[in-house]
Amino acid sequence: MEDQHNNVFELAEQRRLAQEYDAHLEGPMVGEKKSSHAITEEYARADPVYIAKTQSLPQTYSHYRPILGDGNCGWRAIAFAYFEKLLQLSDAGQFELEIARLVSLDNYIETVGGQDPSYFMDMTEETIELLKDLLALLDNPQVARNTLLERFNDNGRAPSIIYHMRLLAVSWLRGHAEEYQGFLDGSIEDYCTRDLMAVNAEIDHMGMTLLIDIFIKPVGLSVEIVYLDRSEGTEVNTHIYRPIDQSGVSQIGPMIYILYRPGHYDLLYKERSSYFVPHPAATMASNVQVNRATSFSRQHDIQQTQPTMENFSNVDIEFFSSIPGFCVPPPSNHGFPTEFPGFQQAYDPSPVSTSVSPDPSMVCTNSSSSSLSIATTFTPQHSSSLSAAMMSPQHSNHSSHSPFSTIQLPIHTLNSAQPQPLQAPLSSHHSPQHGDVASPPPTNSTFRPSKYEWEAIADWQEGPVIFQTSTFKNSHYNTAHYNNPNFQPEEWSPDCEEAFDSSGRKKST
Amino acid sequence: MAAKRITREYAEISESPPSGINVSLDNDNVHKWNVVMAGPEGSPYAGGTFHLSLTLPPEYPFKAPVLSFKTRIYHPNVTNDEKGSMCIGILKSESWKPSSKILAVLLAVQDLLREPVPDDALEAQIADKFKNDRPGFERDAKDAVKRWAK
Repeated sequence: MEDQHNNVFELAEQRRLAQEYDAHLEGPMVGEKKSSHAITEEYARADPVYIAKTQSLPQTYSHYRPILGDGNCGWRAIAFAYFEKLLQLSDAGQFELEIARLVSLDNYIETVGGQDPSYFMDMTEETIELLKDLLALLDNPQVARNTLLERFNDNGRAPSIIYHMRLLAVSWLRGHAEEYQGFLDGSIEDYCTRDLMAVNAEIDHMGMTLLIDIFIKPVGLSVEIVYLDRSEGTEVNTHIYRPIDQSGVSQIGPMIYILYRPGHYDLLYKERSSYFVPHPAATMASNVQVNRATSFSRQHDIQQTQPTMENFSNVDIEFFSSIPGFCVPPPSNHGFPTEFPGFQQAYDPSPVSTSVSPDPSMVCTNSSSSSLSIATTFTPQHSSSLSAAMMSPQHSNHSSHSPFSTIQLPIHTLNSAQPQPLQAPLSSHHSPQHGDVASPPPTNSTFRPSKYEWEAIADWQEGPVIFQTSTFKNSHYNTAHYNNPNFQPEEWSPDCEEAFDSSGRKKST
Repeated sequence: MAAKRITREYAEISESPPSGINVSLDNDNVHKWNVVMAGPEGSPYAGGTFHLSLTLPPEYPFKAPVLSFKTRIYHPNVTNDEKGSMCIGILKSESWKPSSKILAVLLAVQDLLREPVPDDALEAQIADKFKNDRPGFERDAKDAVKRWAK
């Protein structure tokens, strides 16, 4: 019992020591700007992913500024970048506007954030005071920059500014609770006290989003987060937060670059982007660079994702359906809305047309090497779930709940007669069906049963099912076997013709 | 920031001190307070007078104050030695919030004298006695008060 207590005590003691150790990290809270090659050197002995990413980093982001990782780095990075950007834009009117905005946000922190002004006013005053001091120094940019750096390294004053950031995030979260609740595991109150208001709680993705929404976007600034992590690739991934103007269009304003390494934030710079030149042309230049970065590093823009997906579902499914070996899920799902019901009625009653079924089902079960190579060509750009459906060896089962769809699809694509390059080899293969569905069946299949035998089983409820069973896939009726060099046609025996309708029996005979 | 806030808090507590608590500055240093706390009625510490030292770090309120008993006390959450270090939830670094005020800290200490928290103990033996032999614990606590806190 006592041992247990001692253990608990030791554990608590160790935890306390660990926390105190964290609090005494080396270096200034905000460091001097350095060349980004310093990051490359830092990771020179790391694993290959980091080496590749850090080697390409300085080509895009020329400089970086280290931020002390004491649990406040993300908050500090955003706050510092805000002031630095305002200095860079050097617009006295904007400083005045910001001072007024932050003063009015005090009211928001009190009423919406639910905080007691008797304690937080001291903190927000620090932020506003720094804005006023910098405004007074606008004519002397070098002194202003030094003042900013000094203030952020002043242990008596900087924590107030950083806590102001936390208060803003808390207030924004409470003011938009319904929007963010879904992103939280627990309650908003727990999140606020544990992750936002605790003094050394690191900023997380949610905190970053909240702070950017309330603090950065209204100024018209954009934030690009550059992720340097172990994810695949040789370039860093980026995510851009951009302000939205009154008409709801997202804008690219002057950009703040933040380097994220798991658990830590630093600032990045593209020095060519017109430092201290508040000129329209300079803004243009920085825009061009942003776009270039976009194409270089896979940027995830949430706002543009949805339209892309819509286009994808309309266009690409049709295209895939022309690939042999690919089965599309039931037509109701993906862009085959109207043609089918009518076609189905015209198609259904004809018992003769059943004879075409082997070919369409062959299309579905055929997984020749050419179709596979097509699939892999397109996989990287498109939905992985679709490509998984294409590659799956059991893909004919995907549509088994709707037997018609597997048959209709190839015909539909042929009838629609859209100019698709991949269709050429296929249409020659299917050309007998193309002309008239109800005409006497073509005789291009060696194993096609006679019309009279088919009449016995010409029940549409049952017919197509035959060609979806694994037995058929393994049977000699499956022409896909011709692609198999080990295929032995001798295995087919005419004695088994009777077993055609009940496929399970064939093996046992 | 720190001095401004501490001065204001000191003024508030001096103007309307909570019952059983008295504060004064140590050599006019706003970062070092002397606290005199009466043992709360209904607790084994009733009748005792406890002197505490409250140190406010330069980073206050972003770092928690440090509080220790200068008067020796028999209590699961206070080390039973001349240091008198104490373990109290509100002052733990992971739960300290800048919105917490010194007044709240002092009231929490009063609560801790009324209701020890044996699961968060610094003195495991005293915590065991508190949990398993309450009369014995109260007797020992009262004896300690007579010895050290009169």
